[in-house]
Amino acid sequence: MKKRYLSLLLIFVITLRLSAQQEWIVPAENLSKLSTFAFSDSTRKAGMNLYITNCKSCHGDPGKNNVIKLVPPPVDPASDRMQANTDGGMYFKISQGRMPMPTFKNILSPTDVWVVISYLRSFNPKYAQEVAPKVLTGAMVQNVKIHLNWLKEKDQVQAVVSGTKDKIEQPVAGAEVKLFAKRYFGNLLIDEARNTDAQGQVLFNFPKDLPGDSTGYVQLLARLSDEEAYGESKSETTLQIGVPTYKPPLNEQRAMWNVVQKTPIWLLLSYTFTVLAVWAFIFYVLFQIRAISKSGLSKDQDTID
Amino acid sequence: MSSEINTGFLKDKRLDTIAADILRPVGITQGFLVWMAFLSISLAGCIYAYYIQCDKGLIVTGLRDYVSWGMYIANFVFFVATSLVGMLISSVLGMIGFKWVKPIARIAEIIAVAFAAIAGLVIVSDMGRPERLPYVFMYGRIQSPILWDVTVVTTYLVLSTLLYFIPLIPDLAISKGRIGHTPKWLQSTYETLSVKWDHTPKQYQILLKLVRILLILIIPTAFAIHTVTSWLFAVTTRPGWDSTIFGPYFLTGAFVAGSAAVVIMMYFVRTNYKLEKYLTDYHFDMMGKLIVLVSIVYLYFNINEFLIPAYKLKTAEAIHLQELFVGEHAFLFWTVQLSGLILPIILLLFKFFRKPFPIFIIGTVMLIASWFKRLLIVVPTQENPFLPRQFVPDAWMVYQPTIVETAITMGTILMAVMIITVLVKFFPVIPIWEVAEEECHTNNDQPKV
Ligand code: HEC
Repeated sequence: MKKRYLSLLLIFVITLRLSAQQEWIVPAENLSKLSTFAFSDSTRKAGMNLYITNCKSCHGDPGKNNVIKLVPPPVDPASDRMQANTDGGMYFKISQGRMPMPTFKNILSPTDVWVVISYLRSFNPKYAQEVAPKVLTGAMVQNVKIHLNWLKEKDQVQAVVSGTKDKIEQPVAGAEVKLFAKRYFGNLLIDEARNTDAQGQVLFNFPKDLPGDSTGYVQLLARLSDEEAYGESKSETTLQIGVPTYKPPLNEQRAMWNVVQKTPIWLLLSYTFTVLAVWAFIFYVLFQIRAISKSGLSKDQDTID
Repeated sequence: MSSEINTGFLKDKRLDTIAADILRPVGITQGFLVWMAFLSISLAGCIYAYYIQCDKGLIVTGLRDYVSWGMYIANFVFFVATSLVGMLISSVLGMIGFKWVKPIARIAEIIAVAFAAIAGLVIVSDMGRPERLPYVFMYGRIQSPILWDVTVVTTYLVLSTLLYFIPLIPDLAISKGRIGHTPKWLQSTYETLSVKWDHTPKQYQILLKLVRILLILIIPTAFAIHTVTSWLFAVTTRPGWDSTIFGPYFLTGAFVAGSAAVVIMMYFVRTNYKLEKYLTDYHFDMMGKLIVLVSIVYLYFNINEFLIPAYKLKTAEAIHLQELFVGEHAFLFWTVQLSGLILPIILLLFKFFRKPFPIFIIGTVMLIASWFKRLLIVVPTQENPFLPRQFVPDAWMVYQPTIVETAITMGTILMAVMIITVLVKFFPVIPIWEVAEEECHTNNDQPKV
């Protein structure tokens, strides 16, 4: 009896702890952040695609409440709890994550995050979007471009940021740039976020041991942190700066899991040899039945009956 | 089986009596017709069930995503298991030199042939698209235990058939002139099948050599057939199947099921054909002792199979054992273990229970229990997969066999019984020449020819 009370108490305490953990507080300054563009059917559609690849495995189909079993559980996007977030709150939670909800700030660009939010909001009929007023920082540069170079002697990657201002192409100074290497599951931040100098240049230290593809190529991605000011500005380049890595595909060599043409030799031999040996005896026996029939009386007079 | 034969028995009067006794029931009798009609009508019902399955697909069975191997696969394991007894009786015991197995060796071989032949069909019953069977041979992978299983079941069937047929040849020759009471076609079948057998010493010499080859060959094949069948399960990492002793566990279980089947058939043959003189109390007594032996070995493997996981209690194994010992399947599990293993071991230690009728009853219970034992090996594991079961109808979580599926399974058993009936009714079920040779050899000192 005592035991039962004890376990009841335990369950109670655990539940308390869990519900306490469920508060996910967004710092006040992030709550009022707004998207710089208006949500439209095309952003919702793009958002749906992003949702399916990145979020659906845990959050399920919006409105069906078929979230995966995790502690704490993911929240159905169509639920009141999800929709009670401000836009900025959602933006913060998606970018930062909290175990077991992953961090998306390196995987999705700020624009991508807003695009997903536009999709999440489509499940809230009462939602009316508020768009951020155009900020007049960054001295109104447009068409921002990032150019990446490999400085071999110094093991550094140089990013040169330029844009057009008053119809003249010129360097963008003082902008924060992040450099990523593309990996299988998301983007890997290289070095750290750095600001451009007066020439619009910034240098990133590149690790010597980063695995590249079989010939050493690595796909790099550079992005300005302040997309609100500069617009969506990312640049992708492939440079031969990684360590050449060749991982033979698992189905290249003979293996148990491979197709029949790539059966391991030992297995092929044992199977074939055993089957042939046994069946050789079987055929021998069958032929000997003929021999029995042939050594009947007509041929063999040495008889008894 | 000795390598030389004393053919003196062929001139002995006793051969006539023995042949007359054994051949009396051979032929088409009214009882046979009634029995076959009953079997055929029942089978027609089962075939209709199979037609429904072919038409609608496996959805008419209780098989779903989680439990995709149910009664059919359990039935397959049961068939393969039962057929192994041919090897045990003829090869192992026969070659050691136990004389008492001579009159029952053919019974064991008939069981082997019938059950191995139907085992292949049982697998087909588990296929939603049976017309794709040839794909196994066209696209099968040598790496897959399924292909090994197909190979070895076929080989075993051929070996068992030869091991049934070859020692039958002298009997066919002896019987040729003595089955005047049977229809013409049966007599000409005897004529053809006896391949001009004239009892020449040369023929006996070849025959004994062939039988010896087969007896040796069938031992590894029989081990392979059931070991490979166990590997279909054991090569996975699932609780209840992930075991290194699954091969011997299956093999010893097979001897239990097979010996029980032999006892049942011995009893039917003895009482229906009035062959008490040949299948004596002594033979049943010996079979009783054999069953105790194989059951104790099987019990030993059972203890291994459950005790070690129960000691370690890895999470998945713990859930599995819980289900078996005290959960969903506990009633069946304990019934099977008690009635199919523990009680028979205890009862058969007493001479009274090794008499024909009591041991026949015990054997029947054991054979039924061993069918359910296979179900307990196949199903509970799948009801507890590693990944969470979610977003499926509740009915998919557990396995509920349907009537269609039960009927199809019954059909396979009926077919095995039909094969046995035909073989028993059309050919001598006790080896005449071996019994006669034994009798004359031990009682008389006939000069060797
Ligand atoms: C690995 C599973 C997983 C993936 C993938 C995932 N989430 Fe989550 N998410 C969670 C969990 C678990 C929580 C609850 C976390 C908590 O309460 O601490 C959560 C919470 C959230 C919240 C906050 C809900 C609230 O309580 O206010 C938002 C918003 C959210 N996820 C959006 C997303 C979006 C958008 C994506 C895809 C880009 C995504 N999640 C991908 C598991 C996941």
